[in-house]
Amino acid sequence: MKIRKFAAPLALLASGALVLSACGTSEDPKPGASNTTTSPGGSAAPEGPGKADLGEISTKDDTISYTLGGEEWLGYNNNTPETYSTYNSVINDRLIGGFIYFGTDGSIHQDPEFGTFKLTSEEPMVVEYTLADNATWSDGTPIAYEDYLLDWAAQAMVDGKNDDGSDKPLFNHVGGLDFGGRVLEGPKGEVGGKTFSYEYKDPYPDYQLQVGGAFPSHIVAEQAGMTVEELVKAIQDKDIEKLRPAAKFWNEGWLSNTPGTLPDPAITPVSGPYKLKSWEAGQSVTLEANEKYFGTPAATKTLVYRFVSPDAQVQALANGDLNIIEPQAVVDTVAQVKALGDSVKTEAGQSLTWEHLDFNFNSGVFKDSLELREAFAMCVPRQQIVDNLVKPVDPEAVVMNAREVFPFQDNYADVVSAAYKGQYDQVDIEGAKAKIAAAGVETPVKVRIGYSAPNPRRTNEVALIKSSCDEAGFEITDVGNKDFFAKTLPNGDYEVALFAWAGSGQIVSGQNIYSSTGQQNYGGYKNETVDKAWETLGSTLDTAKQQEQVKIIEKELWDTLYGIPLFAHPGLVAYDATISNVRKTATQSTVAWNAEQWVRAS
Amino acid sequence: MAKFILRRLGASFLVLLGGSMLLFFLVTISGDPLADLRESNADNKEHLIRQRTEFMGLDTPWFQRYGVWLGGIAKCVTLSCDLGTNMNGTDVGSLLGNAAQSTLRLVVLATVLAIVIGVIVGIATAIRQYSGFDYVVTFLAFLFFSLPVFWAAVLLKEYGAIRFNDWIREPTFTLAQIAGTAIVLAVILQGVLGGSAKRRALTAGATLVFVVAAMSYFSATEWFRRPMLGIAFVLLVGLGAAVGATALFSGIRNRRVLYATLGTVAAGTASHLIVLPLLEKGGWGTIFGLLPVALLVSAAIGWFVGGYSRKPATVLSMSVAVIMGMLTIADVASRHWASLLGLKPRPISTIGSQTPNFAGGFWESFLDKGAQIILPTIVLTLISIASYTRYTRSSMLEVMNQDYIRTARSKGLSERVVIVKHGFRNALIPITTIVAFDFAGLIGGAVITEQVFGWKGMGELFRTGLDHVDPAPVMAFFLVTGTAAILMNLVADLAYAALDPRIRR
Repeated sequence: MKIRKFAAPLALLASGALVLSACGTSEDPKPGASNTTTSPGGSAAPEGPGKADLGEISTKDDTISYTLGGEEWLGYNNNTPETYSTYNSVINDRLIGGFIYFGTDGSIHQDPEFGTFKLTSEEPMVVEYTLADNATWSDGTPIAYEDYLLDWAAQAMVDGKNDDGSDKPLFNHVGGLDFGGRVLEGPKGEVGGKTFSYEYKDPYPDYQLQVGGAFPSHIVAEQAGMTVEELVKAIQDKDIEKLRPAAKFWNEGWLSNTPGTLPDPAITPVSGPYKLKSWEAGQSVTLEANEKYFGTPAATKTLVYRFVSPDAQVQALANGDLNIIEPQAVVDTVAQVKALGDSVKTEAGQSLTWEHLDFNFNSGVFKDSLELREAFAMCVPRQQIVDNLVKPVDPEAVVMNAREVFPFQDNYADVVSAAYKGQYDQVDIEGAKAKIAAAGVETPVKVRIGYSAPNPRRTNEVALIKSSCDEAGFEITDVGNKDFFAKTLPNGDYEVALFAWAGSGQIVSGQNIYSSTGQQNYGGYKNETVDKAWETLGSTLDTAKQQEQVKIIEKELWDTLYGIPLFAHPGLVAYDATISNVRKTATQSTVAWNAEQWVRAS
Repeated sequence: MAKFILRRLGASFLVLLGGSMLLFFLVTISGDPLADLRESNADNKEHLIRQRTEFMGLDTPWFQRYGVWLGGIAKCVTLSCDLGTNMNGTDVGSLLGNAAQSTLRLVVLATVLAIVIGVIVGIATAIRQYSGFDYVVTFLAFLFFSLPVFWAAVLLKEYGAIRFNDWIREPTFTLAQIAGTAIVLAVILQGVLGGSAKRRALTAGATLVFVVAAMSYFSATEWFRRPMLGIAFVLLVGLGAAVGATALFSGIRNRRVLYATLGTVAAGTASHLIVLPLLEKGGWGTIFGLLPVALLVSAAIGWFVGGYSRKPATVLSMSVAVIMGMLTIADVASRHWASLLGLKPRPISTIGSQTPNFAGGFWESFLDKGAQIILPTIVLTLISIASYTRYTRSSMLEVMNQDYIRTARSKGLSERVVIVKHGFRNALIPITTIVAFDFAGLIGGAVITEQVFGWKGMGELFRTGLDHVDPAPVMAFFLVTGTAAILMNLVADLAYAALDPRIRR
């Protein structure tokens, strides 16, 4: 669970749901258009990755319980670094609506019931957003321009400097000041207006993720003792002193520091299908359908989110204490869930977190020797790793042959066929020996594989690699330890690093990993072709051109062997078979991504 | 005495202070609070690391952070404790409040049960040393003692919750189940009661007949869906308690005491009828309001009927009154079991301390919370019962071999008086220490049980804090368990003095 929780605190979105979608394109919102077939009874067989159109829905007076884990709810504002987590988002995403959501494969979809957006100009880059006319907060105030202005201000207002000379943000926003750096002047529109537009300083391919949900500005204004107009003016004038009380409320007023005490409903209006009903500290948070919701109403009236640690989830499902769980996808859990019989349905599949082996280019044997890297890639038993360690959980699991796209995404085959010729599909010990000989180094070649321990699956992966690669003339040592990220990685005490990247939600996030100066390029890989391709990719908004660059990058990374992708992590969802519309998603939105559609067959 | 207590408290305070400093230091070096962020591939990672460093004060040395924490604790003097916040900004004071509440609910009941059952079984095994019963109890004690909690809890959830809930839908017994239970109980009971072969056969036979009859009746009437204890049950069990208590503590020949306790049972049964409508509405206020009334009435009965044994008569009458009160509550609660099943068809959950958003009235939610506490209590009781049994047994055996016991026997005292007055009371002295220690330990020691049953208690607070290298929750845990340990030790010392006149001076 740990990986998931912290994998992507990117938080450009109020929705908090972050996935990697290397070439995600948003579907044109066509209100009323349906890519699914509806069946009577309000359940539909989903065909696309987006939400199914269930037709006319009336809220059923029923209760469904679900959980992700035992972590306590932290408050209405989950955009502070302290409260930003998957466990908070799984509740808050039901409360706050937004322009976009992620489909099950990580594709980005607009939610026309909330509003729409489109790119109106590329030079300069301008994106125009239009909120639905009937979009209102549950207290009756319309959702409007000022809410999004505040959303921008929370990521843009600078309050002096930090000790290290960097800008100090006025708001304690998890996204820092990145948005402010991209959109210098904030959204343009008028108070109460439903349409507003952002002008980006430079072309920014990930603009779709930049704007999602927003918090109610009228509450912030009221709490700060000013009118909405004054707040808007203060933001537009960048008047930090006037904004200080507003920022103070934003930073503190929406946090629930005393578990069990719900915030005053008057300061926490919602814009999503559910609202908060009750909270028992350490036990559960109950959501109730928001009767003032302007979109398709929730299918089930009451959702109970219970705080249950992973060990206890399967039995709780068997006993009916929980109806939907997303436990850790490990072999034991799969067996336990299967043993529950027909009353429980399970769905296993891949997720947007992927495991890989990365070479150390700063020091060690692989630094200058492509032959050795190739030899290592030849002897790593990728298929065997997937067969032995992943398939027991997800029988459909495959070896992953790309870095920026996932096997279940539409463009995967296209990218892989352009970048990778299948040279490392089979273990080739003889080939590896020949490469080592060509490299002209003494055997055995000592290789330390590091990872963050304890992690039984990775220990097993290293064992499999050792038994294969030692034959080819390597001598593999398992140096997995708990300080891997704090010490081993920064100190460079490894030849190969084994870890996973979680889908980061952005098209250009890989630049940080693969470009020569990238912050997350831990191994110190340097390649001009890759750097240039990222620059090109980052400065175009044309998806076809982006796709082209991704192919160039992937090919270069394979040819020069930045590292070796292994597999996408498996995910598992289990639920009471009487509930329809439960769909597993590969994204970090978790199974609750379409919670408003869950309904028990009557 | 006061000087002794003050000196003890003063020394304990210093130990607590030193311990807290050491623990704070150990927590801060136990790991990397930024570990998860280092692993992250967010492109604003630097920002996140900076924010957390600032929030948790990671750029200041540990003793400075300890000073801040201690400053918050020092405010306790003015009754405005500040236990700090955890890494998510949640107030640790309120976390601690919730955690302590659920842990105490869990631990108090389990400890009391473990002590009562453990001590009784321990004495029984000591009296019947090297009997079949003794061997069986010894075997079970070691078995329970070595049970892996996690595994036992999972099994208990499977059978005590999931299968029980399946069964309660149609609560009937098969013939084989009835026969099996009856035979097992018969074997156990004759082993416990012992005696000659003829007496054993009689015990076993009677048990067999009784169990078969009772189970067949329950099964045929689906009693477990609509249980009803009724006034007859209250009267019968009350009588049993009265006679038993009298026989054990003052001898059945002491007519005064017997009449006093029996009188209390009669009064209790009569008031049962009056109290029922009062209790129907429920409320802790009513229950605890009736308690002093019951105690007063029973004390009066004991006082006036007691005669030459006024003191034991009064005490035993009051005890019987408390038992009658519990029986009455059980009776009222049992009448609401059916409506609980209507609200919650699967009454025993595997997780949580209560059903979220429970709709029932006072008695339904009383039963709901009660049902939730059963399984974790069984687990905790089983583990600690083992040690109590063993300690009591050995302590009792040692005492029973003392010279003064032989003297007591030789001067013609009845076996009851020898065991209860001379043996048991002296055997209690070493057990007090263990009870005190155990209770302090249990508050922090229910970690796994809490986790498996989804209770957010003290153990969870400690574990999560340590996992995240987050000192404030760990320190809150230490503060409570450390103080409990010290206080309990003090209580043990005082109890020593009460039990052993030689120490009192």
